[in-house]
Amino acid sequence: MQEIFVSNLVLSALLFTIGILGVMWKRNAISLFMSVELMLNAANLAFVSFAYQMGLLSGGILVLFIMTVAAAEAGVGLAIFISMFRAKRHIRVDEHDMLHG
Amino acid sequence: MELIIYYTLFAITVGFALGVLLNKNTVKSAMSLVGVMICLAANFLLMRQEFVAFIQIIVYAGAIMVLFLFVIMLLNLRERETTPWYLRSTRFWGGALGLTFFFVMAWGLQVFSAGTTEPAMAAVQADLAARNTPEITVLSTKMITHYIVPFLLTSVLLLVAVIGAIVMARRQDEDGNEILVEDEVA
Repeated sequence: MQEIFVSNLVLSALLFTIGILGVMWKRNAISLFMSVELMLNAANLAFVSFAYQMGLLSGGILVLFIMTVAAAEAGVGLAIFISMFRAKRHIRVDEHDMLHG
Repeated sequence: MELIIYYTLFAITVGFALGVLLNKNTVKSAMSLVGVMICLAANFLLMRQEFVAFIQIIVYAGAIMVLFLFVIMLLNLRERETTPWYLRSTRFWGGALGLTFFFVMAWGLQVFSAGTTEPAMAAVQADLAARNTPEITVLSTKMITHYIVPFLLTSVLLLVAVIGAIVMARRQDEDGNEILVEDEVA
């Protein structure tokens, strides 16, 4: 079913675009981070669709690596948000500008 | 029949993704993201990639999203998303950039997908079934032979991430001494 392949690539592009819009629009650091997760999921979808189309089983392995990196990123990122929250009692990214110079 | 299920799933996925983007409440946004991940797992099942689908549910919807929700509850983020006047232009240009990205992608996909044929996965899986080899065997063999270096590197990455998370989330006073919960309550 090549329809599934082609529409999945479109879906992947859509999810990635929604992720980009989330990163551009949100102020809350956690919402912003969730948009990044959405973009990673879009990349996963593209990997799996290409594996399906080309008949390659390695696509699943690459998805596993993406998930590992996403888990590591979520762990460290959320720890950083906790210490950001300790410093200023909020996590609005536009108001955390101590490195602004 | 499969295509009807597929397009329904497509619509639900986009709906949940828009929910992540448009919800002002962080918890609702996170629950929409769980919805997106479950829909994507169903999508992987439709593409006959069972292992990736289950890992998607267990790791993403199960572990990562619980971590997100846990931190949202821990920080008690009651405030809703707002847009002050000085961020209006950022919003506009960000939106323009994102939509431009989508249209470039869509154009590229249209050119790319002009000559697609039937997907090759079904034939590969039929061949594996004929040789009585489960797909997971092939995947795991590949993982510890061809992909052994990235596999070992991810273990180092996870270790570093765990240590980094502990160091970042730890509470310290000016001299770098640990502050315990008892001291804080007192």
